[in-house]
Amino acid sequence: MRLARFGIQSIAGLLAVSLASFSVITLMPADPVTIAIRAWSLPATEETVAALRAEWGLDQPLPVRYLHWLADFLTGDWGRSFRTGEPVLAEFAERLPVSLSLGLAGLALAIVLAIPLGFFSAAHPGGIADRMSRALSIFVQAVPAFWLGLVLLWVLGVRLRWVRPFANDWTAIVLPILLIALHSVAVLSRVYRRDLKETAGQPHFRTALAKGLSERQALWRHGHRGALYALLSAVRSEAGWVIGSTATMEILFGLAGISQFLVQSIAARDQMVLQAYVMVIAIWMLVLNASANLAMRLLDPRLA
Amino acid sequence: MPRLIMLAALAVFLCVGGFWQPHDPDAVDMLARHSGMTAGHLLGTDHLGRDLLSRIMAGGWRTACVILSVGAIGFFFGTLLGTAAAVLGGWRETVVLRFCEFFVMVPTLIVALAAAAIFGLSPLSAGLALGLAGVGPHALLAHALSLRVLGQPFILAARSLGIAPLRMIARHLLPNTLPLMFAYVGNQAGLAAVAYASLAFIGLGADPSKPDWGSMLFEYRVFIFDHPMLMIWPGVALALVTLLLNGFFDNGQA
Repeated sequence: MRLARFGIQSIAGLLAVSLASFSVITLMPADPVTIAIRAWSLPATEETVAALRAEWGLDQPLPVRYLHWLADFLTGDWGRSFRTGEPVLAEFAERLPVSLSLGLAGLALAIVLAIPLGFFSAAHPGGIADRMSRALSIFVQAVPAFWLGLVLLWVLGVRLRWVRPFANDWTAIVLPILLIALHSVAVLSRVYRRDLKETAGQPHFRTALAKGLSERQALWRHGHRGALYALLSAVRSEAGWVIGSTATMEILFGLAGISQFLVQSIAARDQMVLQAYVMVIAIWMLVLNASANLAMRLLDPRLA
Repeated sequence: MPRLIMLAALAVFLCVGGFWQPHDPDAVDMLARHSGMTAGHLLGTDHLGRDLLSRIMAGGWRTACVILSVGAIGFFFGTLLGTAAAVLGGWRETVVLRFCEFFVMVPTLIVALAAAAIFGLSPLSAGLALGLAGVGPHALLAHALSLRVLGQPFILAARSLGIAPLRMIARHLLPNTLPLMFAYVGNQAGLAAVAYASLAFIGLGADPSKPDWGSMLFEYRVFIFDHPMLMIWPGVALALVTLLLNGFFDNGQA
């Protein structure tokens, strides 16, 4: 029952996003026919314009065009890129693995690092882990990941000569993942710590201490599960931040991901690419949201 | 108090930067390329001999415009929607809350990215997009705060005295929620500055002749080997702005 409700909500959300983005993108001041004629150097005669308009259904009203687009989109026809002339779906399929692995690896690394950091900062308030995570959360708010990346490239690459800046090797994969994870580590470890501290104030936690468990044992056995739940619910909003950082990382490190493709296409006013990009991000948010919900449900038997 | 002075100094620097710079930020001077830090060019010049300090000041004004418009939009619409939802209650409250919860999930940067791709990147378009995308959390906060105030006994007293609803909102509800809302907006302002810099760095539809901190970082990244200070300074300016804003408003909130 709840599953069906969640499914309906997600589909309604996707439809709302697609309708909103379709309307805004169609209202773009640029006319796709003029762009196509210039991009493909077609003769700019009345017949070509009329033929193109009829072929793309531009003479029809907006709702009809939206339904056409939706049907095409669902059947895998995402249109053609003006710039490359290739189908948009193929272009995305080629680049999506790069962006996805950046985002997923960053998020996974953040979760893995946030748990010990949050745990030790809750177990020893004011200790080194606590002060580190507090400093980190102030630091990442003020310093954007792409600038930190530039500074790292300068320090590691130019001063220490450990890596080659802007080279196309393993550092161009590892550094972006670390930088993407850094922001989420700070946020998630604070969430995890706050929930653990809350548990530590509860009567059942004192019972555990009275039973003879050490504070660290009691936190791990009786607090970890609940704190993990809070952490997963924060992961849902962190997913949006992560996908945003993959965009700057792709530009900085020259990785061929979907955001880089969007930036290259947008000079050609490639509307189909932009529309597909918005839809891919919406699906990314939806899938991560659903997985986080699923994991939360597995953690908390009351929800199942 | 020192925080207030620092914030005022920042505001003065950003505002002055919009109207007066030591040099023309776009003036190319091929004889003074990469001059380094001299008396004439305090932070040195870039690869075209443009004065770095002037460019940072001009970019600061554009950043300030974004911060102000994002803050104003979030503050105004967030308070309006959240307060209205809390006061009205019933199905209207549910609709507003659902809408906001949905909007919280939409990644702000991606909305701004799409807007920049369509309308081009300017402080105005970025400010509008980032501001509208940020209305959701503001409205949820305003709603939670208003509910807490509405549960207080003095509201019941005011109600039983028969005070008109609008008067009650203006005299009893808003004075209690607005300071906290304001602190939250200030807290989010640093994020807006970082988001705008990220957009300019990505460079979607940005006007390359206009100095933005983000686009300067993108432009100067290739000089990392020989002139790293070019990419250090704009980042320092950005980090300072964010730190000052966060530090000031965090304190006000606690």
